[in-house]
Amino acid sequence: MAFISSGYNPEKPMEGRITDIGPRSFEDFYPPVIKRNKGKWDYHEILEPGILVHVAENGEKCFTVRCGAARLMSVSLIREACDIADKHCGGHLRWTTRNNIEFMVENEAAMKSLVADLKDRKFAGGSNKFPIGGTGAAISNMIHTQGWVHCHTPAMDASGPVKAVMDEVFDYFQSMKLPAPIRLALACCLNMCGAVHASDIGIVGIHRKPPIVDNEVLDNVCEIPLAVAACPTGAIKPTKTDFDGKKINSVSVNEDRCMYCGNCYTMCPALPLADYQGDGCVIMVGGKVSNRISMPKLAKVVVAYIPNEPPRWPTLTKAIKHIIEVYSKNAKKYERVGEWAERIGWEKFFELTGLEFTHHLIDDFRDPAYYTWRQSTQFKF
Amino acid sequence: MAKHPTPLLDQLETGPWPSFVSDIKQEAEHRSKNPKGIDFQAPQDCPADLLGVLELSFKEKETHWKHGGIVGVFGYGGGVIGRYCDKPEEFPGVAHFHTVRINQPAGKYYHTDYLRGVCDIWELRGSGLTNMHGSTGDLVLLGTVTPQLEEIFYDMTHKLNTDLGGSGGNLRTPADCLGQSRCEFACYDTQDLCHTLTNDYQDELHRPAFPYKFKFKFDGCPNSCVAALARSDFSVVGTWKDDIQIDQAKVKAYVGGEFKPNAGAHAGRDWGKFDIVKEVIERCPTKCMSFDGALKIDNANCTRCMHCINVMPRALRVGKEKGASILLGAKAPILDGAQLSSLLVPFVPVEKPYTEIKEVIENIWDWWMEEGKNRERVGETMKRLSFQKLLEVTNIKPVAQHVKEPRSNPYIFFREDEVLGGWTRDINEFRKRHAR
Amino acid sequence: MEAEKKIIMDFLEGKKGKTKFYFNDLCKALPDMKQRDVKKILTALVNDGKLEFWSSGSTTLYGMVGAGKQHSTEEGE
Repeated sequence: MAFISSGYNPEKPMEGRITDIGPRSFEDFYPPVIKRNKGKWDYHEILEPGILVHVAENGEKCFTVRCGAARLMSVSLIREACDIADKHCGGHLRWTTRNNIEFMVENEAAMKSLVADLKDRKFAGGSNKFPIGGTGAAISNMIHTQGWVHCHTPAMDASGPVKAVMDEVFDYFQSMKLPAPIRLALACCLNMCGAVHASDIGIVGIHRKPPIVDNEVLDNVCEIPLAVAACPTGAIKPTKTDFDGKKINSVSVNEDRCMYCGNCYTMCPALPLADYQGDGCVIMVGGKVSNRISMPKLAKVVVAYIPNEPPRWPTLTKAIKHIIEVYSKNAKKYERVGEWAERIGWEKFFELTGLEFTHHLIDDFRDPAYYTWRQSTQFKF
Repeated sequence: MAKHPTPLLDQLETGPWPSFVSDIKQEAEHRSKNPKGIDFQAPQDCPADLLGVLELSFKEKETHWKHGGIVGVFGYGGGVIGRYCDKPEEFPGVAHFHTVRINQPAGKYYHTDYLRGVCDIWELRGSGLTNMHGSTGDLVLLGTVTPQLEEIFYDMTHKLNTDLGGSGGNLRTPADCLGQSRCEFACYDTQDLCHTLTNDYQDELHRPAFPYKFKFKFDGCPNSCVAALARSDFSVVGTWKDDIQIDQAKVKAYVGGEFKPNAGAHAGRDWGKFDIVKEVIERCPTKCMSFDGALKIDNANCTRCMHCINVMPRALRVGKEKGASILLGAKAPILDGAQLSSLLVPFVPVEKPYTEIKEVIENIWDWWMEEGKNRERVGETMKRLSFQKLLEVTNIKPVAQHVKEPRSNPYIFFREDEVLGGWTRDINEFRKRHAR
Repeated sequence: MEAEKKIIMDFLEGKKGKTKFYFNDLCKALPDMKQRDVKKILTALVNDGKLEFWSSGSTTLYGMVGAGKQHSTEEGE
């Protein structure tokens, strides 16, 4: 490989340097129909799952075709999306907050040829490249984190279980037959990059073992005060320990205080956390962010532990699908999962879903715990 | 022939949902064939080795990544995450595998010229793999080597007029919903506010000096598609102050079955004929609506939940006096549990140059930088030092809207100047009234 | 500005066994200065090539260029 310089001069880093310019302006990227009608939209309709039309006050229309996508995406696939956008959409496209791709065109005929084009595109392994759906009372794309693909503290993979879950619930992505939208999310550890804590159904990776202290190298590779300060529960203390007949500096972990968050491993590579027997995930249910009908709410843990079962996490995907089906059968129109569970009572949620209620599901962590216990004789048998 | 056999990952190639495994494989093959004869500046078999190390994780159920902190571009404290594989001999293509966060355009609108530019830079100087997009909103370039970081930054700024996003204890890359660009519900221009504040606060974004991360998110209306009040410390959510606009003729059209209710969002199941009383009037959380052939809304008692507007978007519109509510303090669970943002500014007009909003932001930052502990989100500082303190430093008058209910304990901390006569008392004066 | 830079560098050199510092910790070296002004000093020191950032991804620390145990292991692999 011959080094190809961008023009950057390492001897003089400030030479010709451009900084603090921020992102490109959205004005550069709006499709013309969007630019013309911004702030002047009259109404919208979902024509079929994944296909929307927005109608402006002057009657102009913007047809949007929404496609699910894996958020881990190669430049080859992005270029293919660009080819589609060049062919049908004048070179414009956008992504949604939930990792969907949206292609926009200005008339029905263009929309139909775009849809026909998208439908036939498949990966070599057989999966769809651009499945259309994710609108209305459906399951939209699942937001997720990095997992084993790139993160140093995950308790589970992310892309893998997301693929497995989305395959299992794909029918709900391409239809609009649920009582209300279901937002799924996965975070591969409890640091929760992303809004899993407010999703209808969330999967959160959890570790269940404190870090191992690699005494032999710890003092050589870490700054002990940083590792100590990294612990949110104060479980790590500096210590002197015997190793190979020598007194060495290291740390000790108060195992009863450890909440297995991995923050110490971030600061100190001699405190590895991952464990094939300890790691797995919880399922959280009933969060929402929209202010529609009821106020936003946090999701609640309904399954305290499911082990990692790569490549397709069958126990997890089965549990998720089951919860969705029980909800779909029992909830009233417009009721989100959390609103349904609150209306019938969580004791009925466990009865209807058949999920086992265990001691792990009773909050015992600091102040908020008390407010989740029942200060009433009102409950259902 | 694949570099590493991946029997477990191969099982994720079937099924209808787009397979990231197939996609990485296609990139691995593309790089191995290299039809354009590119002199790859990062290992050619990055994607192949990524599949290899991921297969190992699928087999062993443990991650193989380590964090590394001293990578970045000169003068910036964020935007690059250092990552190293703990099996560098077996997977040399991903031995160094750093992430670069690119600040996405507001609304995540793109033109293909720009995206192809990103792809060309990233194919040459990185793994060719991305996240579209990361959890905070950035366009994430996944995996490159240390010597390429400055080159990527130089190319991004010089060729694509684009900067890096945030990471660490700084202002994280702000994100917004698509707002007025394509939505009739939006109460302000989310894109313009997002883009303007991102640019106005570049120093806060690139040079970390906060106790911890700080996120802005902008929702155009209370439907909260970008989840601002769950995902951001500073959540701006569009709202309005006056009356919902009603077109009675179109209400009748919904009742008569002429228009699809919910814009067709529930079309996949037979829920029966649209029943305005059952589906709108009775579902209204404040019961402030009635229907007797004409729709009536007691707007003074409406909490703007959007339900009726969502159900009948052609007949009902948000009011004319539009703006936003500002809520503060959402965070993920560590340590005391997850928090949603709490209402701080009930209503603010959202008008260029956004002076009023910026004043709130800067007052909060000054206070949090002074008082916040290391690794403490502003939502925790608020809890530790009280909501009253937050109101004081932001010069916001307490109003009943700030709480769901008043306190149920009388342990009120009064300031000395609030109490007649102050706290300094003369014991001799007291003794004149009371024997020892 | 130069006097303040020296105070920061002296503060850092005076700390034994610790090479990375939160912004808040460095503000203690210049207790009478406003946080935003301390940041300007630190930014200047970064631009002078004397300080560098260390990021955990979620938080960021400052340290003297080249100092610290993690530096050699990270760059050497």
